[in-house]
Amino acid sequence: MEEVVRLGISAVLLAGLYSVMAYGLGLIYGVLRIVNLAHAGVIMAAAYVTWLLHSRLGIDPYLAIPVILVVFFIFGVLLYKGVVRFLPRGAAGGVQSLLLLFGIWLVMRNGAYLLFSGNDRAIRTEYSTHSISIFGTSVAQSRVVVFVIAVLTLAALHLFLTRTYTGKAIRAVAQNPDSGTIVGVNVERFYALTFGIGTSLGGLAGLLLATIFAFNPTSGAVELLKSFVVVVLGGLGSVVGIALGALVLAFAESYAILILPSYLTAAVSFVLLVVVLVLRPGGLFGQRVLA
Amino acid sequence: MVNSGTQGPPVLDIEDIEVFYGDAQALFGLSLNVQRGEVVTLVGSNGAGKTTTLRATAGLQRPTKGDIRFEGKSLMKIRPHERVELGITLVPEGRELWPQMNVKENLELGAFCGRARGHVAESLDRVFSLFPHLKDRCNQMAGSLSGGEQQMCAIGRALMSRPRLIMFDEPSLGLAPILVSQVFDTIHRLHSEEGLTVLLVEQNLTKALEIADRGYVIETGMIKTEGTSRQLLDDASIRSAYLGI
Ligand SMILES: Nc1ncnc2c1ncn2[C@@H]1O[C@H](COP(=O)(O)OP(=O)(O)OP(=O)(O)O)[C@@H](O)[C@H]1O
Ligand SMILES: [Mg+2]
Repeated sequence: MEEVVRLGISAVLLAGLYSVMAYGLGLIYGVLRIVNLAHAGVIMAAAYVTWLLHSRLGIDPYLAIPVILVVFFIFGVLLYKGVVRFLPRGAAGGVQSLLLLFGIWLVMRNGAYLLFSGNDRAIRTEYSTHSISIFGTSVAQSRVVVFVIAVLTLAALHLFLTRTYTGKAIRAVAQNPDSGTIVGVNVERFYALTFGIGTSLGGLAGLLLATIFAFNPTSGAVELLKSFVVVVLGGLGSVVGIALGALVLAFAESYAILILPSYLTAAVSFVLLVVVLVLRPGGLFGQRVLA
Repeated sequence: MVNSGTQGPPVLDIEDIEVFYGDAQALFGLSLNVQRGEVVTLVGSNGAGKTTTLRATAGLQRPTKGDIRFEGKSLMKIRPHERVELGITLVPEGRELWPQMNVKENLELGAFCGRARGHVAESLDRVFSLFPHLKDRCNQMAGSLSGGEQQMCAIGRALMSRPRLIMFDEPSLGLAPILVSQVFDTIHRLHSEEGLTVLLVEQNLTKALEIADRGYVIETGMIKTEGTSRQLLDDASIRSAYLGI
């Protein structure tokens, strides 16, 4: 029983992180109809940047959040303006954009090998080993902090998309770009903005990951797959859908440990993906439109 | 129905435009104009190029040849999203609302351009006084509105930009007869009470000519006939081709 509670708490905490990385991928897909495979590279790169800032300059990872957000926002905008803009969109152009963004990921990964070698890195702060008690279970403090930051980020994003003119315009462009043009939205600018925000969320996810897990140049691949699973589960309908998708994945993974041999738990997200795609291709929780 | 018309340049002056979709040509040197305060209708059969003409004016399709001028100024160098700033708007074929946003959000975004943004509250009042029914639907998703409600919402959205020229693309398409009359009434009121200049694409020629000052008949991407509503109604070939009489 105690084990069940412990796994449940860790699942909820993990779901926060999953939501952030999935929303980065989902936002870009929802607006541009592009599956951004470079998301994996962004997550990995942000982990290294956070690590560098901490080990070289002594900047605390949580204080590095604004830096990471800005740096990866700019990176995303440049990636859009320099490359993605020229790619065909949607079903027709799917393969080309997949290949190209996959290529960008490979370049980033190999760059990381060159710069940092393939060794595992981890960020250790003086509070890395602190833990706190939730419902009588001891939980690593950093996991709780990551969860809180994730929830705050999603709440901010939700308010941005539903309350501000700019956020509403992003949703409008996702739902019908030509109507956006008619009312005066510079659709290309909003594509760049969206790519920037999605990339910046990937960056934040990389930072948060680096504060709780070790990483190396191949990191990001598994996260990309999980982000994809969460988006498929939760749909693009809302932040809430994404959060629910993340919870389902995190719980499935956590409790799989109880019933599956450990070498199979890694396959849980795959299995979940296949099952959902077969049974409910529209996602568990609603629409495939950014609402 | 008589208009003073000819002072100053036409509000809209389309001159000899050609538009392609890939290799397929849709417009072959089409010209038409709309004077200030006029209602002009553009009629023609399916695939004639009516939507393409409106989309080219709104900036959603780029002519490879010719010129489109708004109040004497060429639109060819003006980017698509900037045209609404000049006072051009389009109520597109099939409404093209944002289905997963509610009516209020759809309307508010209609005032996205800088010129209209400061007048949202005022414009909303105006739209709701024109379509009181929309007010009750404020929080409903546009995608779940009935066809008639969607059309009102689409017209409302266009009005939110405080246009000087409003283009309608088959606004009566798919509506019940009573709603068709309502839509034409609305267009007529916008013109007569608010002095809006209107370019109206319609398949319902009788109704369109009832409220229009002039009309153009388009066939395979070219203007075939033009004239006042009276002239077109009296034209035997048009009567047989488009009115079935
Ligand atoms: N997206 C497109 N791609 C290729 N060809 C197109 C496209 N849109 C329109 N066309 C072609 O251009 C021509 C003009 O089409 P347009 O939509 O302007 O006609 P329309 O007069 O509005 O017809 P309708 O009354 O059916 O709405 C048609 O031959 C049509 O097949
Ligand atoms: Mg048409």
